[in-house]
Amino acid sequence: MSLGGRRGAVAAIVVVLVAVLPLMVKSSFALDILIRILLFAFIGTAWNLLGGYAKQFSLGHAAFFGLGAYTSSLLEVNYGISPWLGMLAGGFVALLASLPIGWLCFRLRGPYFTIATIATAQVLMLIFLKFRDFAWGAEGTTMPNLGDAPLMMQFDGKAAYYYVALGLLLVSLGVTAWIERSRAGYYLVALGEDQDAAEAVGIDVPRMKRDILMLSAFLTAMAGTFYVQYIYFIDPNTAFNFSISIEAALVSIVGGVGTLFGPLIGTVLLETTAALLQSWLGNQAGVQVTVYSVILMAVILWRPTGITGYALELYARRRAKA
Amino acid sequence: MLEIVAQAVINGLLIGGIYALVSIGVTLIFGVVKIVNFAQGEFVMIGMYITYFLGTQFGMDPVLSLVISMPVLFVIGMLVQHFLIRRVLGLNDLPQIFLTFALSLLILNVALMVLTPNYRTLHTSYSDAALHFGGLYVPVAKLIAFGVAMLLSAVLWLFLRSTDLGKAMRAASQNREVAQLMGINPHRVFAVALGIALALAGAAGSLLMPFYPAYPMVGQVFVLMAFVAVVLGTLGNVVGALVASLLMGIAESLGIQFIGADSGLIVVFLLLLATLALRPSGLAAGRAS
Repeated sequence: MSLGGRRGAVAAIVVVLVAVLPLMVKSSFALDILIRILLFAFIGTAWNLLGGYAKQFSLGHAAFFGLGAYTSSLLEVNYGISPWLGMLAGGFVALLASLPIGWLCFRLRGPYFTIATIATAQVLMLIFLKFRDFAWGAEGTTMPNLGDAPLMMQFDGKAAYYYVALGLLLVSLGVTAWIERSRAGYYLVALGEDQDAAEAVGIDVPRMKRDILMLSAFLTAMAGTFYVQYIYFIDPNTAFNFSISIEAALVSIVGGVGTLFGPLIGTVLLETTAALLQSWLGNQAGVQVTVYSVILMAVILWRPTGITGYALELYARRRAKA
Repeated sequence: MLEIVAQAVINGLLIGGIYALVSIGVTLIFGVVKIVNFAQGEFVMIGMYITYFLGTQFGMDPVLSLVISMPVLFVIGMLVQHFLIRRVLGLNDLPQIFLTFALSLLILNVALMVLTPNYRTLHTSYSDAALHFGGLYVPVAKLIAFGVAMLLSAVLWLFLRSTDLGKAMRAASQNREVAQLMGINPHRVFAVALGIALALAGAAGSLLMPFYPAYPMVGQVFVLMAFVAVVLGTLGNVVGALVASLLMGIAESLGIQFIGADSGLIVVFLLLLATLALRPSGLAAGRAS
């Protein structure tokens, strides 16, 4: 079989497997892990647009996640508007919020950009905690349980959530693949390599950064809506949790920043590890993130291009030998 | 009214001294090694637990325990430089940012596992004591912490001004290549900078212990404050970080007084965002450290 044919066959098998997985996996625990993998791969892929290609390392993506979660929840609870519409509305709210956030944070470079993004997410969380008449304050609220209501993004079994998360992930992968091949994709990589050089060759760096942040924010907000619909609950601590920002960055770095499938591969590795640890040690505080941080450190010190980068290196070496 | 403001300013100024120790450490590392140490707060936490341990096991006074917590953290700092940070120097942003970030997560979560999330407090004879001036009162433990913090800052300032090693450090922070050409061994200078910065974080932890509970996440508040102070005080500027820390302590305290108990951080973050909007290069921009 030719290389192209073999690739096509592998891809077909993967697609079929992914599509029928929820029909074979009956355990709710396992299905939950699969949904988490798809969700965080989606968030990671959204983060990767900004952090991986443009190399603007945000640790504040919880801001957009939370805005998406709150927008759709407020629309549903107060006005009965379907979260499907709320998801898009949340995306636009996050997109608009990304303009002032980017305007402020992009004034700083490198690590101080990262710190500024942490601060914006924290400010949003504190605002939602503080002003209780605005959105339920610190107590949060549960989503109305409508039973099996697909139009309101509520489903009977977990399998349906799996397909929604899968759809979201495919959207983000599609967008990324499209950007990778576009002129904008090359601009992003150029500015990620060296902002000043990119500017010198005529790339409108501030505009590129602003635009990619808008897109990344929009997608991340969609994940927020999905998550609230999945767990039926929202409060500031869930919606703006720092761990969301951390995991978005972590899965991309471990998998390989600036690659199409890096965040997905990183998520599979980290979430599977977390699930194994959990079934082995129970829910002991600190275990999961301890392991995450050791993996992160190992990747940074020995394989800074992530798993994908390492795999590509090995592949290139093998081809060079052959 | 005036009295309430004055009291809030005093409270803020005193806690600002602790913030100063943490932010001076962050700005020193940034200035000399060009790395932002995301784990600085976790070293404050380690300092607190060292003092807690010495206090509960041997009845050692928190201020006295500085003679142990500071050297221990100095050594940890040199090890962190030698085994971790040295390996990412000269690389791009990603490893430089996420190495110390991973270290922060690691220390915090190991502490969660080993020490449990419980709050631990150390009660000293002066924990509840206070001096009274008219209607104002000054808690003794915080006053001691502030005094020692200012003393340590002054010692550091003198060290940077007048010793060869301090001068080498400032030279390395201004221009690494030229400093190297002048015969300065950067790795030695970097290791000492890390050592000093962590020793200051450890001192902050020890000084906090009489009036502040220790728990694994405690460092996060302090490190966020320090980051804001370092931006506000112009990156890499030691005096700037000190002044900004004191101002932030006061701003936080006024926020707590007039907006509500949990709003101190909002005020500080808004201060950061306002600084970024109005004067992105910091308040002391253009002045030499």
